[in-house]
Amino acid sequence: MTLKGGTTSACAACKYQRRKCIPECPLAPYFPADQTKVFQNAHKLFGVSNIGKILKSLDPSQHAEAMRSVKYQANVRDRFPVYGCLGVIRQLYYQIQLLEEEFHAVLAQLEMYRQHHHHHHQQHQISSLPDDVPSQLELAMAPPSNSLPFFNQVPAQPYTNVSAMPVSMQHSYSSSNNVGYSPSYMDSAENVGNNYLWIQHPFLATNSNTSSNNGSSMAIQSQMLVPNSQPEVVQDYNEIHSFIDTIDDRQSYIDSKEAYDSRSEESLKDTTQSMEHVAVNELKSAAACLSLTSVN
Amino acid sequence: MASSSYSNSPCAACKCLRRKCMPDCIFAPYFPPEEPQKFANVHKIFGASNVSKLLNEVPPHQREDAVNSLAYEAEARMKDPVYGCVGAISVLQRQVMRLQRELDATNADLIRYACNEMPPAAAFQYGRRTETGHGGTSFNQNTGFYYPSQWNDHCGDNERSGDGSM
Repeated sequence: MTLKGGTTSACAACKYQRRKCIPECPLAPYFPADQTKVFQNAHKLFGVSNIGKILKSLDPSQHAEAMRSVKYQANVRDRFPVYGCLGVIRQLYYQIQLLEEEFHAVLAQLEMYRQHHHHHHQQHQISSLPDDVPSQLELAMAPPSNSLPFFNQVPAQPYTNVSAMPVSMQHSYSSSNNVGYSPSYMDSAENVGNNYLWIQHPFLATNSNTSSNNGSSMAIQSQMLVPNSQPEVVQDYNEIHSFIDTIDDRQSYIDSKEAYDSRSEESLKDTTQSMEHVAVNELKSAAACLSLTSVN
Repeated sequence: MASSSYSNSPCAACKCLRRKCMPDCIFAPYFPPEEPQKFANVHKIFGASNVSKLLNEVPPHQREDAVNSLAYEAEARMKDPVYGCVGAISVLQRQVMRLQRELDATNADLIRYACNEMPPAAAFQYGRRTETGHGGTSFNQNTGFYYPSQWNDHCGDNERSGDGSM
């Protein structure tokens, strides 16, 4: 419905309700006339009055963000009438779990390659010694300071630390410290030794106990997995996770895609450091709304 | 307050709405009287009439799931009136992207090692494996990514990210 003699058309909200769109219409900035479907979804889920209540309860500076989330939530509910955003969240958690598992597997393979590479390098160094100089390994003497001190101190269990390394990597982005993954830090033997010490540090008392390493890795992994494994987390939502796990509703989600486009490729511009910093704040804000208190 | 003439106590919805809880009450199976807060949240955020319409459009065997997801979203919106449950979606999406980047970087290293020790053909096959990626999901491919404007470097895309096409 347009104003008599005016050039501006009514917003989608007023058009839907067949009423005059006044200049002070609170919904007009967020539901332009060409987004009738978006408004219908929001109206269907929340209702005009409830949307108005949300806006009134917030500071004007927060209105834009709130309405964006309202529209997103309503559109997702229109797309997936049964699970809505909860299904999206569950799917994302599952995706994260898969990525982490794949990441651990790749790290394990990479560690094997490095071990192999390092072993070859050591053999090459040993074979290059003159024949009349006995190997310090053979004599069981203390190595000189310019040799590989860390390597000799490491117990001969190269593959037990494989499980620890993914945990350290996981610990790096779960705790958002600076212990990040550096592809080049394994170049020298000293770095290899440092890496072993760095890996062993979280498990100083248990580095010779593979089962303890696995237990510790499981303990830290549990911080990153679906929060329904946390007793203190989302106690109000336990029943939701328990029944959703038994239902595969993916077929109902495959609809035509002409309504909503994916714009995921357009926003990958954050640096790793800023994402880590933002991730901490975001996780804390997510914790505020989901009672996720253990994600740090 | 209306009292029910039936033996069963009124459901939480009818108690909250102060009406008679009929045997065919659509809310009764999903809002037991022992959980009054569940319906209170849903009613406050979405409204009982909207919930009733939504439930009527969903097959009966999926109504419990629908109610529980609505309850979840309502509680999330109560705790965070600005973002609701969408804030968690944004956080998780960024986490997925970061993990994918980490994985890609690690795979690249693995390929480098593999190329040093494997024949070129085998290394090529190994590299192809890493290009399949996580494959995405029907959920995320259809809903797209949500980026609140304050978490973006550029702030001009309120409309782009908020219309649900995302």
